[in-house]
Amino acid sequence: MIETSILSSLSKINEKYQMFRTITSDTEAGDAEFLFSAKDNLTSKDMETCSGSKILEGYRPPFDATSIARMRGAGGLLVGKTNMDEFGFGTFSTNSAFGVPRNPYDPERSCGGSSGGAACAAAVMDGHVAIGVSTGGSICCPASFCGVYGIVPTYGRVSRYGLLDYGNSLDKIGIISAKASDLGKYVNIMAGADPRDPTSCMQPDMGARRKLKSVAVPKDATEGVSEDVRMAFTDGLETLESLGVDVDTVEMPSLKYAIPAYYVIATSEASTNLARYCGMRYGHQKGDLSLKFDDYFTSFRSQYFGQEAKRRILLGTFTRMVGFRDRYYSKARMVRQSIIGEYRSVLRECDAVLTPTMPFVSPKFSDISKMTPLESYKADILTGPPNIAGMPHASVPCGYDRNGMPIGMQLVADQWDEGVLFSAAEEWEKTFESVRPEVSI
Amino acid sequence: MDRETVEKVARSAHLKLTEEELETFSRDLSDILGYFALLDEAPDCENFGIDPIDVADVLRDDEPHMEIDPDKLLEGMDTYNNYVRGPRLL
Repeated sequence: MIETSILSSLSKINEKYQMFRTITSDTEAGDAEFLFSAKDNLTSKDMETCSGSKILEGYRPPFDATSIARMRGAGGLLVGKTNMDEFGFGTFSTNSAFGVPRNPYDPERSCGGSSGGAACAAAVMDGHVAIGVSTGGSICCPASFCGVYGIVPTYGRVSRYGLLDYGNSLDKIGIISAKASDLGKYVNIMAGADPRDPTSCMQPDMGARRKLKSVAVPKDATEGVSEDVRMAFTDGLETLESLGVDVDTVEMPSLKYAIPAYYVIATSEASTNLARYCGMRYGHQKGDLSLKFDDYFTSFRSQYFGQEAKRRILLGTFTRMVGFRDRYYSKARMVRQSIIGEYRSVLRECDAVLTPTMPFVSPKFSDISKMTPLESYKADILTGPPNIAGMPHASVPCGYDRNGMPIGMQLVADQWDEGVLFSAAEEWEKTFESVRPEVSI
Repeated sequence: MDRETVEKVARSAHLKLTEEELETFSRDLSDILGYFALLDEAPDCENFGIDPIDVADVLRDDEPHMEIDPDKLLEGMDTYNNYVRGPRLL
């Protein structure tokens, strides 16, 4: 039997942290075996799905995403849809049309993005399992900022049916939880072939779990990271060595191209995916029908897309234009192939590639508002590479800065080798003493 | 990216930008594309695809079936006599 008292406190919790866009009206858990939330870009029959965007306000999908259906099928009760950057466009969850989730360790700071609401829910609510979605770092970044565990399986491991696309070749559905053992348990529930998403149909069985014996650290892994992150990461490496894990340093020269390549591919795909939102069929639809169709679509899109969505649509439209496509889009795909090759080469010799998860701890909202878009994009410098390569990766908490803000480190394994990440996170949890945030409602 | 180019791209993307947005996006996109020039020095490679993993076509039996009740789909749409309402074409 699960603890149901949390259901009656959801509104109060949300008032304080703003992690949910929608909350269940259920007050009893009934026969449910566990409670879970889903990021607001996954369709759910009984709740609105807006992907953090005003343009989709009021959209009630008539079907469940495969990931949600499988969690329900395993006995899960969906308690809410978590807040996020509009369509996943952000690193700090400050680009949502429906409020900004507050970091449980300091409400003046970000939860990370774009699955910020998911990480916040996992950090604040005991035993909670949150489904997140990562395109360029949207699970590991918020997991790191909120001091919890997060896993992104291999691209194609979990069906994307019912996911409102950001970048089709990049989007991956994963899990965020305060408990390391939840990563393997719930990824296994969501994973598996689904004919509705052909990219999920080539996957091999989930590999056997195996102990982490060796990690490789890219030579430039700590270049440009804050002193607090560097120290926590160094301590983490020493702890791993004391556990008998071999640590090696490697050259991975292609990683420095990951961020521009990622943003070119992601915005190219996003700009075409978002073409469907035009004031017909989904969300806001009451417009001036006397307008010509081009003007009608333009008026909706201009009124309801947020600033970051417009910026990324412009960027992606430009990088696909005749005359620029080879320089940007085709080149970015070449870089992706080089990065995959480089990871594979390193992972032939060791179990995982290890870096800090984020270059700094969660920043204050007052500092985020001063960042340029490019500075914000560059914050994905460490989470971008495994995402563009479709490699499974996990963030585990590894320390706290002088203000008590959490720091994470990121393990990247070879495609389809999630088993080593599940084991590594569970082993790490036995050694690392987490400091849970103080939650008062 | 100059304002004229931003305006041209926006038109292609069905976006009408305010003067302030034109100014802001022109500055932001110039900054971002300047950084993207890093891609010029990345080595070329062959055999690159669309997805990061191997993907094959998945075909279903050619049998009619109904995945979602069309009436349910229409419930969320602005309709007239079961047609989705839209703007005029001419």
